[in-house]
Amino acid sequence: MPVLNDKQKLMRRIQQCCFALAEANLYLDSHPTCKMGLEYFRKHKAEKEKLEKEYNEKYGPLTAVQSEGTKKWEWVAKPFPWERGEN
Amino acid sequence: MWMYEKKLQYPVNIKDPNPALAKVIISQLGGPDGELGASLRYLNQRYSAPCREVQAMLTDIGTEELAHMEMISAILYQLTRGLSMKEIKESGFDTYFVDHTTGIYPVAASGVPFTADYFQSKGDPITDLNEDMAAEQKARTTYDNILRLADDPDVRDPIKFLREREIVHYQRFGECLRLVTDKLDSKNFYAFNPSFDKP
Repeated sequence: MPVLNDKQKLMRRIQQCCFALAEANLYLDSHPTCKMGLEYFRKHKAEKEKLEKEYNEKYGPLTAVQSEGTKKWEWVAKPFPWERGEN
Repeated sequence: MWMYEKKLQYPVNIKDPNPALAKVIISQLGGPDGELGASLRYLNQRYSAPCREVQAMLTDIGTEELAHMEMISAILYQLTRGLSMKEIKESGFDTYFVDHTTGIYPVAASGVPFTADYFQSKGDPITDLNEDMAAEQKARTTYDNILRLADDPDVRDPIKFLREREIVHYQRFGECLRLVTDKLDSKNFYAFNPSFDKP
């Protein structure tokens, strides 16, 4: 495995958390009253919000509307994720 | 509506370009069992789904398939960076290069462009969900075949992730099919279309 920088390490944590949420989402679509599934979803939702806030503050927006919109348009200042080392 | 997030669902970081491998993997973008067809299949079928659980599943899996299309495109993009004309000619990538240079265009590995013939939207949820389960297995087989052809661990890792998602989606569509059939009259199982006929 390649050595990851701090930005990539934080992105991995976001990807892991979002993957858990995506799995919970599909499972809950067909099991909408499962208590364990709902609890699992809530736990990862709180974690995602925390991690994304940290990412936005340190490295910029993950969605266009997360841009600050002050001095310059940050959405075009940061690379897109299909570039090697940027995802 | 949709919102774009500037991240891949699973990382794609490929050190070594390999245009011959790109020519094979492109089938999972624009081929008969690729991610573009998967996304369009589910996102078009969802309007005739008879209950909210199935409407949600088709919406959410159809959306995830868009993220998979982006991963496949990132693999193709990174496999075709910085190629010399010699590499393009010797790898057999020249037949794609002549029409698209190194741009991303949805075709099958055979070169046939993407077509809506690759999926159906039949307006009958039992028919559609059976197609969806078959589609997930066909995509899984294609990923198995790609894994037989690819040696590079940088490529195999994201392909293995995508292969696993086909298995999870198959499971979830199976649950949708059970939800729909459970609501039918057991004597009338295939006698009417639950999205069209009034029982």
